[in-house]
Amino acid sequence: MSAGGKIGGPILEVDDVSLSFGGVVALQSVSFDVRKHEIRAIIGPNGAGKSSMLNVINGVYHPQRGSVTFKGASRRDVDPHEAAKQGIARTFQNIALFRGMTVLDNLMTGRYLKMKCGFLDQALYWGRARREELAHRAKVEEIIDFLEIQHIRKTLVGRLPYGLQKRVELGRALAAEPELLLLDEPMAGMNLEEKQDMSRFVLDVNDQLGMTVVLIEHDMSVVMDLSDRVVVLDYGRKIADGTPDEVRNNKDVIDAYLGVAH
Amino acid sequence: MQFFFEVLIGGLLAGVMYSLVALGFVLIYKASGVFNFAQGAMVFFSALTTVGFISMGAPFWLAVALALAAMVALAFFTERVVLRPLVNQPQITLFMATIGLSFFIEGIAQLTWGAQVHALDLGIADEPIEWLMRNTGMNISKFDLVASGIAAALVAVLAVFFNKTRTGRALRAVADDHQAALAVGISLQKIWVIVWIVAGLVALVTGLLWGARNGVQFALTFLALKALPVLILGGFESIAGAIVGGLIVGASEKLAEVYIGPHVGGGIESWFPYALALLFLLVRPEGLFGEKRIDRV
Repeated sequence: MSAGGKIGGPILEVDDVSLSFGGVVALQSVSFDVRKHEIRAIIGPNGAGKSSMLNVINGVYHPQRGSVTFKGASRRDVDPHEAAKQGIARTFQNIALFRGMTVLDNLMTGRYLKMKCGFLDQALYWGRARREELAHRAKVEEIIDFLEIQHIRKTLVGRLPYGLQKRVELGRALAAEPELLLLDEPMAGMNLEEKQDMSRFVLDVNDQLGMTVVLIEHDMSVVMDLSDRVVVLDYGRKIADGTPDEVRNNKDVIDAYLGVAH
Repeated sequence: MQFFFEVLIGGLLAGVMYSLVALGFVLIYKASGVFNFAQGAMVFFSALTTVGFISMGAPFWLAVALALAAMVALAFFTERVVLRPLVNQPQITLFMATIGLSFFIEGIAQLTWGAQVHALDLGIADEPIEWLMRNTGMNISKFDLVASGIAAALVAVLAVFFNKTRTGRALRAVADDHQAALAVGISLQKIWVIVWIVAGLVALVTGLLWGARNGVQFALTFLALKALPVLILGGFESIAGAIVGGLIVGASEKLAEVYIGPHVGGGIESWFPYALALLFLLVRPEGLFGEKRIDRV
């Protein structure tokens, strides 16, 4: 359990969000909130709409109905790069890294929004641009230490094994120093040891760096151990919402996962 | 042997000029996956705009600055009118759009500045370097050497820009993965404008050098075709590939002309690079430095 005492008021409110693609309904009036400094999990069977939910929060999809309020400001139809500016970073289910770049460059790209130098400064690469580059490099090194990936710093990401790529992707999201971190199945396809490492990183991110985390995950033991509160989706609807213990004993949740006898 | 080196060096220097043309293609292809057929037209347009302003009495550097401004305006125009409405369309659609764009640019250029051939004097004489001539007997043009120097400087600046700066990294990021680029806060539209501006700058330098050598004329647009074998040899995604590809094309066509030409009746220079590229396609379709595509089945 992460430090429960720090948890504050809501940082993100999802209110009555509905999303459909043509005739396919992905989300149906889903509402929940995420409080500052908590780890909030979204779980549900395959096709429940978990990734769609993350994509709505991050602006990849624009819901037909409902609203998303982040840090008190309600927003409609933001684009992903605008969501990033507001302080939302994310990782993807199928790793989306810059494969032709080194780990270091991937993380530096994560700091894109933190860097201020104008186009002309950079084109000439004089004083200011150079100093800025070095300052951000220092910050990126901290993240590299934090994630224990010093040894692969200069390796092209495309050459790394899957588990490490996941870690680098987390690092790129951290490099943006977001207030809200969205993780789409950060442990999918990992072995036990890698899962334990990743769990530790997620806890540390929350605890030491104070970031709010929204997490999609299939591994129930991981979800129950990590999260403060859990939202359960099934067929695009919210069927349960509460602490891991409450959710675990909820009849609808058990039915959704195990099937109902007819 | 001395004759061989003379031909080889002459060829390599000519190759640098081909590299420059190919570089413009690579930049846009890397960042947006679009094969920009209009690159040749951009070379023509920028060179013609420069000589146009010079003939109106503008000093050389002012004319170059104005031509650069025109290329920047063209970049904004292209992003707004061509790329943005066609976002997420198949590559072939964008390719067709750039063919349309090339006709448009050629038309505007000739409408504004007329269709006659203009001479362009950069103040660099196209004559043998005397020192080299006296000591080794080799006939190497001073102009070719300076042109190569300028091209090398341009490539060096681009390399630093791409590898060391925030915007350069953003360009590479967009080339690698749109989704991830958006998620870290990079605006695709802004990046496209920047990459077209950089391609416009490369087109301007190319246009000035080629224009000074062969005259600023409509034939400059066909440089786009000369860039094709370079791109096939070097790979569409690689700046290093564009350079090496250009050198290979330049050197091989001159050597082929001199050594194979006489046996087959000459005129080999104009088609040899294409034949070489064709052979290359059979052996290494992704080019020397290109990314090998591995598809999951």
